[in-house]
Amino acid sequence: MIEANTPLLRKVRYFWPLIVLCLGLLIIVAIVDSTGDIILAQTLVEGLVRIVIVVAIYMFVGNSGIISFGHIGFVLIGAYATAWQTCCPYTREMFMPGLPTYLLNNSHHFVLAIFLGGVLAAVVALIAGFAIMRLTGIAASIGTFAFMMVFYSAYLRWSTWTSGASSVIGLPTTTTPWVGYAYAVVTITAAFLFTRSKWGLALRSSRDDEVAAKASGVNVFGQRLLAFVISAFFCGMAGGLFGHFLGMLTVDSFYLGMTFITLSMLVVGGMQSLAGAVIGVVVISVVIDVLRRLETGIGGFSIPSSSAEVGVGLILLLILILRSSGITGNAEIYWPFKRDVSSEGALRRQS
Amino acid sequence: MTVDASQGTNAPGADNGMVLEARDVTVRFEGLTAVDSVNETLHRREILGLIGPNGAGKTTLVNAMTGFQRPTAGHVRLGSRVISSLTPHWIRRHGVARTFQAGRLFRDMPVSENIEVAAVSLGMSRKKAHAHAMELLEWIGLADRAALPAGILPYTDERRVGIARALAQKPQFVLLDEPAAGMSDLECDDIMHVVREIPKQFGCGVLLIEHNMRVIMGVCERIHVLDSGKTISRGTPAEVQKDPVVIKAYLGHE
Ligand SMILES: Nc1ncnc2c1ncn2[C@@H]1O[C@H](COP(=O)(O)OP(=O)(O)O)[C@@H](O)[C@H]1O
Ligand SMILES: [Mg+2]
Repeated sequence: MIEANTPLLRKVRYFWPLIVLCLGLLIIVAIVDSTGDIILAQTLVEGLVRIVIVVAIYMFVGNSGIISFGHIGFVLIGAYATAWQTCCPYTREMFMPGLPTYLLNNSHHFVLAIFLGGVLAAVVALIAGFAIMRLTGIAASIGTFAFMMVFYSAYLRWSTWTSGASSVIGLPTTTTPWVGYAYAVVTITAAFLFTRSKWGLALRSSRDDEVAAKASGVNVFGQRLLAFVISAFFCGMAGGLFGHFLGMLTVDSFYLGMTFITLSMLVVGGMQSLAGAVIGVVVISVVIDVLRRLETGIGGFSIPSSSAEVGVGLILLLILILRSSGITGNAEIYWPFKRDVSSEGALRRQS
Repeated sequence: MTVDASQGTNAPGADNGMVLEARDVTVRFEGLTAVDSVNETLHRREILGLIGPNGAGKTTLVNAMTGFQRPTAGHVRLGSRVISSLTPHWIRRHGVARTFQAGRLFRDMPVSENIEVAAVSLGMSRKKAHAHAMELLEWIGLADRAALPAGILPYTDERRVGIARALAQKPQFVLLDEPAAGMSDLECDDIMHVVREIPKQFGCGVLLIEHNMRVIMGVCERIHVLDSGKTISRGTPAEVQKDPVVIKAYLGHE
């Protein structure tokens, strides 16, 4: 039996849930990369971008207990903000003639562009959250939904900056599997550290009992706003990754469909656990991929189109009915060796 | 004893002459006057009993003194500062803590984290907060439960964790809402011991709401009696016990 007595071992145990998730993804990426299968690699990158989105949503939803229907709005903001900086230098003026001169004439490196996309989403979250985070429960959820509707409609009509209902084409496809993996690891690490920080702890207390949290000195509004802004930042970066994965953008792809898929992933995995967010993405992505392949037909056998959405919907319903705490039961990946109850690590049960 | 009272509280402007005052506090709910021009001053290191029949307005008065209920008229002061329009978390951070009749622990969290929440919100790092929580649990006799989820505790332990949580970071005043309700005589003795120790160990003033007269008479130096929102009597336990108005109020409700 291994007991966590050395400082190194204690550290390993503290970070164990994080280590397992990152290593697990590393193995998946390495295997897919070695097969050289291009279709599979596409599915993988899409899955990694979704991990960034779902883990970012988890940071807010999992810790605050407030379901957000609006986070895809931040993905939208980040996606277009990145395109303004990197897209199609020669045709940018054609797609987005309204951009300021600086953006029309200058391109930023992909990493900087994605970062700034996240920053813009975070700034918008700060302003929108100032109103929405004062609400509680279902009112807050509906507030986030209204927020997304506003931005979706605005981006559709704001065609000099977004090309409106038509697509922006010609983004460099820089989101490779390894780039996607790097961002997934950064996001998962951030979520892990946030959840275990004093801010994560305070926010989770308000999820359990808002009144008692206030009586314990927790600034519930402030903690929610902080989590909202941080999660919007990562959602914004995911938007940039998504654009550089597809090589094109349409406003329509950041709407109800993506909201449904990402929230399903979070719920199926387990809304209040980081492991749940990651596992939910993996499971649902595999299901969608298999159903999509069946839709196009394998060996003369095929199923009706849109079966993937139906399949995800059914799985979501089954989870809600049979196991509402998700596949992980809202738990994190635990230390598989003997528990040393006297040391403080054992107390860090993820709640 | 591991908790050192001599350090006093960390709240700004803390001193032993500090008082928590209700001045003509009135709380009305659509026609019903739950608290009616109540005056009281709570000093540090004293234990004040607040009693009265069910529905007398005791909890509402505590709500008004901790920012959960804005008084319809009158105000609450902490030292020279009017706090009745401030938020509950601000008031907690400035040294006025409370417990709830219903316990209201963070049920999904381990017992120790219940206390750590208060400690980190009052400025401690997570590591310090954990050590502080363990100290308080040790003091209140629940250190062996630290890692259990709070939701599975029996309600006697739940109340004690609630008290420990309120004492995190040494508030200047702590308002306890029926901590011994539904407890056996033996369990009441235990709570009485805890309440008596609070001013000594933490230097804070205690307002104790309680129905059990044995507990009230056993620990309070002064008693304030409410009935239908109004003050009907004040004094030492002996004086209040003999007051015909008090006897009548209690008999009338039995
Ligand atoms: N939020 C509220 N809205 C309306 N009436 C309330 C509210 N809170 C308390 N009351 C009423 O105020 C009165 C005093 O209640 P309370 O302070 O809880 O009494 P106590 O704690 O002394 O038993 C009761 O009649 C109760 O029904
Ligand atoms: Mg009451």
